[in-house]
Amino acid sequence: MNLKYTIMKTTKTFTFKKSNIILLGLFFTLFFTSNSFLAQEITVKGVVSGEADSKTEVLTGTNIYLKGSKIVTTSNKKGEFTFPQKLKTGDVLVFSYLGFVKKRIKINANSSFINVVLKEDENQMLGALNSNKRYTSKRSKQE
Amino acid sequence: MQKIGFFLLFLFVKTCFAQQSDFKNIDFTKADNRAKIIKSKKLLKLNELTFKLTENLETDVEKFRAIYVWICSNIANDYRLYALNDRKRNRFEKDSIRLNKWNSRFKKLLFKKLLKKKRTICTGYAYLLKEMANIAGIEAKIVNGFGRTGAIDLEKINANHTWNVVKLNEKWYLCDPTWSAGISYPDEGKFVFQLNDGYFLTDPALFIKNHFPVDVSYTLLENNSPSIEEFIEMPLFYGKGYDVFEKDISPFKMHHEIKQNETFTFQYKLKKELDLNSIKLVFYNGSTEKSIKPETSLQENILTIKHQFKRTGFYDLHLYAEGEITVTYTFRISK
Repeated sequence: MNLKYTIMKTTKTFTFKKSNIILLGLFFTLFFTSNSFLAQEITVKGVVSGEADSKTEVLTGTNIYLKGSKIVTTSNKKGEFTFPQKLKTGDVLVFSYLGFVKKRIKINANSSFINVVLKEDENQMLGALNSNKRYTSKRSKQE
Repeated sequence: MQKIGFFLLFLFVKTCFAQQSDFKNIDFTKADNRAKIIKSKKLLKLNELTFKLTENLETDVEKFRAIYVWICSNIANDYRLYALNDRKRNRFEKDSIRLNKWNSRFKKLLFKKLLKKKRTICTGYAYLLKEMANIAGIEAKIVNGFGRTGAIDLEKINANHTWNVVKLNEKWYLCDPTWSAGISYPDEGKFVFQLNDGYFLTDPALFIKNHFPVDVSYTLLENNSPSIEEFIEMPLFYGKGYDVFEKDISPFKMHHEIKQNETFTFQYKLKKELDLNSIKLVFYNGSTEKSIKPETSLQENILTIKHQFKRTGFYDLHLYAEGEITVTYTFRISK
């Protein structure tokens, strides 16, 4: 009797476990599929400015793109932008402007308005003219 | 095992020559046409412009080519900006705080001019090329260094020029968009567009002739990088030299001291077909100039020029091809 009970019990537990797994599976499937629907999608707006020589000014024409995509936008005359696609937490926006260090910003729930400040890079501005001027040796008078 | 050997050999050969001829089998016509057709009044939307230039081009090298040719045929060199910067940099040469302040102010002016008026100086070209390449997903860097021309005093060697390195098929290549774009005539204050293919993915052994980077790893010559002293002693190449020669074979020095009646040999690997009748040697002794048609021969694509020096004296010797100066040497001929 005692033995039979034990067997019964084991079987019972086993069946319970099986259905549990199915339920759990169902739960996870629902969880993951619903997750993408439920995840907050935000429209990202903001202003881009550049800091140079301890002064900050808005940057017109900053290149802004979603990392790993071809979705891009550009900041307007006031430095403002609205990214054309809604973004999710974890997306990375890249900001680049000539003469400034590129900045990557990770999007989170609080990113609906972002203030982006790019720092000036340290490269020196140089320019050698392309010249076809023929070389002439310097000569002392004896030559 | 043998297969692996072949594969390794292939890899080795591939890493040895980083130059335009790596892409011989790629036809740039499509990329070049794209660069020709697309116009943009201002550069305020670099993303869109870059995507327009590169869409439907299959390889990175074609995409890069379209960007490069577009920049070189649309961005003018601004002599006034150059002169202004040159003056200020000389004035603040020994005052790094004021120099950096000036650099920062000038940078703003430079990029404004570039984006709104499509005019700039070297660093502007290099920045733009890097930015547009990056937008197209191609890695590129800016290189600062010393650019050598016939107009530059070699006793005053300072970083004065900026160019680029670009990574294509996992390998770095050299290019100089500023000098590819055209020629400046400072006396007349004008700039003439004239696309020079010679500075596009140039053989590092030729590129070094007039580009000495501040960071020598950017010569791409690895252990064969010259010292600055060796660099100064190299022959002086002009834009046309880059257009016609793949690289020079000999001599490797600018100045030569030889005996009268000695025969001297010059050798170059040609990049394209060249009319041998257009080759001239021009001698200048400080007062008079003499031009001769030297003895030339062509084997495969190796051009050999021979000349016997009959007169003593000190000469600047210029090699001309297709009516333009390509390279200068100096000779002292003694008895």
